[in-house]
Amino acid sequence: MNKKLPYLSITILAIITGGCLLAGVLSGQDPYYMNTDAVSQAPSAVHLFGTDTLGRDIFAIIWHGGRLSLMIGLTATLISTAIAIVYGCLSGLAGPRIDDLMMRFTEILMSIPQILLVIFLQAIWGEPTVFSIGIVLGITSWMAVAKMVRSEVRQMREAEYVLAARSMGAGFFYILWNHLMPNFMSAIMFMIVTNLGSAIATEATLSFLGLGLPTGVVSWGSLMSLSQKAMLTGAWWLLIIPGAFLVITLICITEIGEYLRTTGRRDRLI
Amino acid sequence: MKTHTGIYILKKAGQLALTIFVLSILVFLVSRLAPGDPLRAYYGEGVEKMSVEQLDHARERLGLNDSLVTQYIRWAGNALHGDFGISYIYKQPAAQVVADVYQNTVRLAGVSFLLIFVLGLLLAIFCVRHEGKAVDRLICKVGVAANSIPEFFVALILILLFSVTLGILPQSGAHSLGGGETLRHLVLPVGAIVISHLWYCAYLMRNKLSDEVRKEYILLCRVKGLTQRRIIYRHCLKNIMPAVISIMAIFLPHLLGGAYVVEMVFSYPGLGELGVESAQYHDYNMLMLISLITGAAVVLANMIAQVINEKLDPRIKYEEIREERP
Repeated sequence: MNKKLPYLSITILAIITGGCLLAGVLSGQDPYYMNTDAVSQAPSAVHLFGTDTLGRDIFAIIWHGGRLSLMIGLTATLISTAIAIVYGCLSGLAGPRIDDLMMRFTEILMSIPQILLVIFLQAIWGEPTVFSIGIVLGITSWMAVAKMVRSEVRQMREAEYVLAARSMGAGFFYILWNHLMPNFMSAIMFMIVTNLGSAIATEATLSFLGLGLPTGVVSWGSLMSLSQKAMLTGAWWLLIIPGAFLVITLICITEIGEYLRTTGRRDRLI
Repeated sequence: MKTHTGIYILKKAGQLALTIFVLSILVFLVSRLAPGDPLRAYYGEGVEKMSVEQLDHARERLGLNDSLVTQYIRWAGNALHGDFGISYIYKQPAAQVVADVYQNTVRLAGVSFLLIFVLGLLLAIFCVRHEGKAVDRLICKVGVAANSIPEFFVALILILLFSVTLGILPQSGAHSLGGGETLRHLVLPVGAIVISHLWYCAYLMRNKLSDEVRKEYILLCRVKGLTQRRIIYRHCLKNIMPAVISIMAIFLPHLLGGAYVVEMVFSYPGLGELGVESAQYHDYNMLMLISLITGAAVVLANMIAQVINEKLDPRIKYEEIREERP
């Protein structure tokens, strides 16, 4: 299947990411400034996206919050990818017994829903911060990628170039970095991108449930945790605007992942 | 033949027990990772007011001075008797608290699971019958979009639409005061789960079915003059059933995770709501029990799927479906 690059998704994602990076410059308003004269105001010329129940300007919050959401997503993805690659390669290169054992272990881990593991670990970790959430999300989402890496590695472990490298005394990480990774990266790329999306979604869920970043620290999720109460008073923008940003970001990421998946497959057939 | 079946069952049971054993070790170790003191989990803020002797005494009484292995053996021994410790929030046995609400979760997850199974299969068939046409592409686009929206947001939108704006469906709880109206309280939570998870299954089934209709025997059926409908329903579905069952087994943890989140949004009393509450108040005994139950349910479901598949098609040694999110 010859699929076109998803230009639209890339552009939208670039705009949102850019906006988040330039958060301070763009809005000019302090996201933490609580304007008590303008509580729960609907979108208007002064407050483009309205204000929340504490009188904070949502336009300012969105960009600042997005920065945290994206940062958490990236941290989590980085960690999960690193674990997955090392674990998958170890399992793929190991003998059948160890390999079987390692794969069984991932299956057991996968039998507990990720959100439950995250909640459990985060509760034990204590006070949630951007990095603690990133790490917890990372160490609970590497299993699927690791299985994929492992099956890719198993296909190429007998290849001459791996044997040659081994016979010349190359270490595990040397082979991993120089011979294995270049070969399977395109195949797992789409899963990494998908993981980024689900990490952002899980962070939002966690913050929404009140188990993530405290409501004082704004992210898209924690912003929405205020919305449930606000909704009953008719303040729909509190829910719709952060939600729209979250959902649009996620859909763009999924689209890009979809694209990578089809191209990744094509590469492998050659 | 009899002994053969006996050995088979024994083997499966052994595998199941082993997996749950490893799962329990995992859950136990994670709960002991907690910084500070497990004492806090038992006595809460009261720990700070205790004297050194009292602390020592309490630690001795709870067996916290023993090695991890001894502690695990004692914990597992109690667990086998149905004793999972006291819930610190509810001040009663954790198992008791779970026993009071688990039916709600089973109902919610069970109804969603069945609906997703049936709707997913129908959607997959519809897409394959119109593969490549505009309607198939549209469904795929909508499906991917719906799948990437987090459950809690779908749930909130549903509440906003049906409870706040239209006011036709209740927005929280499992039943009205004094029971009753269970079904009406189920509609929105089930709706939220189905919307956000349907495509996950439908997509995997669609791909499987789409591969199936490209096989050679289909051509033969065509030549014989069978209609497309008949080929799909009579031949293809039968052949992909093992794959469909594996898909549903893989899907279960996703469904349960989704159900737990949705329960929270709807304040629906169940394991998910209990889990989040326990996390907020650091009730580790409860969290351990909920993780263990969930994990065990998934492991059991996988085992059942495996057995059904081996019965359906003896050639299968549970070939694995790759976890590919749509």
